[in-house]
Amino acid sequence: MDSVANQACIVGIGHTEYSRDSGRSEMTLACEAIGAAIADAGLTPADIDGITKYTMDNNDPIDIARNLGIPELRYAAEVNYGGGGGPVGTIALGAMAVATGQAKAVVAFRAMNERSGRGTPRFGQAGTAPGASGVASYFSPYGLFSPAQMVALSARRHMHLYGTESRHFGEIAVTCRHHANMNPNAMMHGRPMSIEDHQASRMIAAPLRLLDCCLETDGGAAVVITRADRARDLRHPRVFIAGAGIGAGHWNYRSMVKDMDSPVSESTVIAKHLFRDAGIKHSDIDVLFIYDHFTPLVMMAIEDFGFCKRGEGKDFVSNGRLRWPDGELPMNTSGGNLSEGYMHGMQNVIEAVRQLRGVARCQVKDARHAFVSAGNAVPTSAMILRNEL
Amino acid sequence: MSELSFPYPIPEYGTEPYWAACNEERLVMQRCQACGKFRWHPAPLCIYCSHSGYDWAPLSGRGRVYTWTVITHAVHPAAVARVPYVVVEVELDEQRDLRMVSNLVDCEADAIQFDAPVRVAFETHASGQKLPVFRLT
Repeated sequence: MDSVANQACIVGIGHTEYSRDSGRSEMTLACEAIGAAIADAGLTPADIDGITKYTMDNNDPIDIARNLGIPELRYAAEVNYGGGGGPVGTIALGAMAVATGQAKAVVAFRAMNERSGRGTPRFGQAGTAPGASGVASYFSPYGLFSPAQMVALSARRHMHLYGTESRHFGEIAVTCRHHANMNPNAMMHGRPMSIEDHQASRMIAAPLRLLDCCLETDGGAAVVITRADRARDLRHPRVFIAGAGIGAGHWNYRSMVKDMDSPVSESTVIAKHLFRDAGIKHSDIDVLFIYDHFTPLVMMAIEDFGFCKRGEGKDFVSNGRLRWPDGELPMNTSGGNLSEGYMHGMQNVIEAVRQLRGVARCQVKDARHAFVSAGNAVPTSAMILRNEL
Repeated sequence: MSELSFPYPIPEYGTEPYWAACNEERLVMQRCQACGKFRWHPAPLCIYCSHSGYDWAPLSGRGRVYTWTVITHAVHPAAVARVPYVVVEVELDEQRDLRMVSNLVDCEADAIQFDAPVRVAFETHASGQKLPVFRLT
């Protein structure tokens, strides 16, 4: 075994409703989502012996184990930079644990009251500490606080280098909204968006508009991972983790102020190994899940993961190419962070599993391979999932 | 100081000389004694060659606009009275890829262009700490 490829499967998925105010604690959300994922797998909490979490998640695995009745916790790990880097990283850690026998079945989860601020501070707002230390001491005295503001700097540079326009970013927002409107659990269900709506939305940090930014959400989402041979006898068709990787580099020290002139990024580091280890080509991917915190970063991820060259992203996302049912490569088919709910990407993982089980609302016909990424511009992670069809 | 100021920078081990020089209205950065390259932000080892020796060397304070954003949505109490304001990434003349975040002050947003020459100036934060900012030249 020289990689985690095909050693582990996602066997259960679960989530809460996504809302602006959940009305219950973050621990309650975590237990609901995890409990639903365990039940979906046809397992009980006694079958679970590992939990992986995002560093930013406030829910402690031992509290979850106590609440859900997990008798023996043999493995608990966190993925750093999660946050956005978390959704796939937690699954990669789980896959490694079950593949090496450190655990039999691992839950990866995200649960937060990020929109209501009841437990987690809103990420779109700055803290009010009077002084700043570390990297923030070079940013926040100038009023550079939020991820959206930092992303605006690289978005403008991308526009300059490649002729990208705001309406190209808008194509990504409109695609996700289109899919959300077919998903009753999506926060933006029933609220259609046109490219004109995107272009008319107010500037947040030019060139970023309001509709270039993801939602803020209360909710919980979880998946269960186990070894491929154990997965065979469970309730659902197996969804294999065909490959998974984590990537970072020295350029990430600037936080989300991305170095646009560097030929390498966290995404290129992952892509270099991921497709080769999985034995899968870009052209094999049937459905795409790109972490959608901000539309310009979605375009940069598509480019740097190798689906097209740098500067070609504007054409790749246009003309409905990412839109179900007629687009060549449907993306974020339940609405993504932009329009379903901001579960730090775990909702995209869940939808990828639905696609490969053949039960998605916007079901891609004969979908066999899904690509799923975590948030770029920070150290990140990505994986390829496949089924047995 | 209150919520009506952006946060002040807290000088730390390894960054105190930078902020002290700012208070004398001098822009300095670490320059590696082995390979001669500047680095930003402050770091204990050279980010190009990992050498530990460095000097705090003066910069001309001249550079060009690498990219910028015009912030119109206030996410901090002090931003309410400040919007719109311009956050700029300046590429300093001394070295390609030597870039720092700052404010571009005293300019109309429409007048900013890529590669426009800029020069450092110093503004005093409510804490008394002087901050390097930039003006179009």
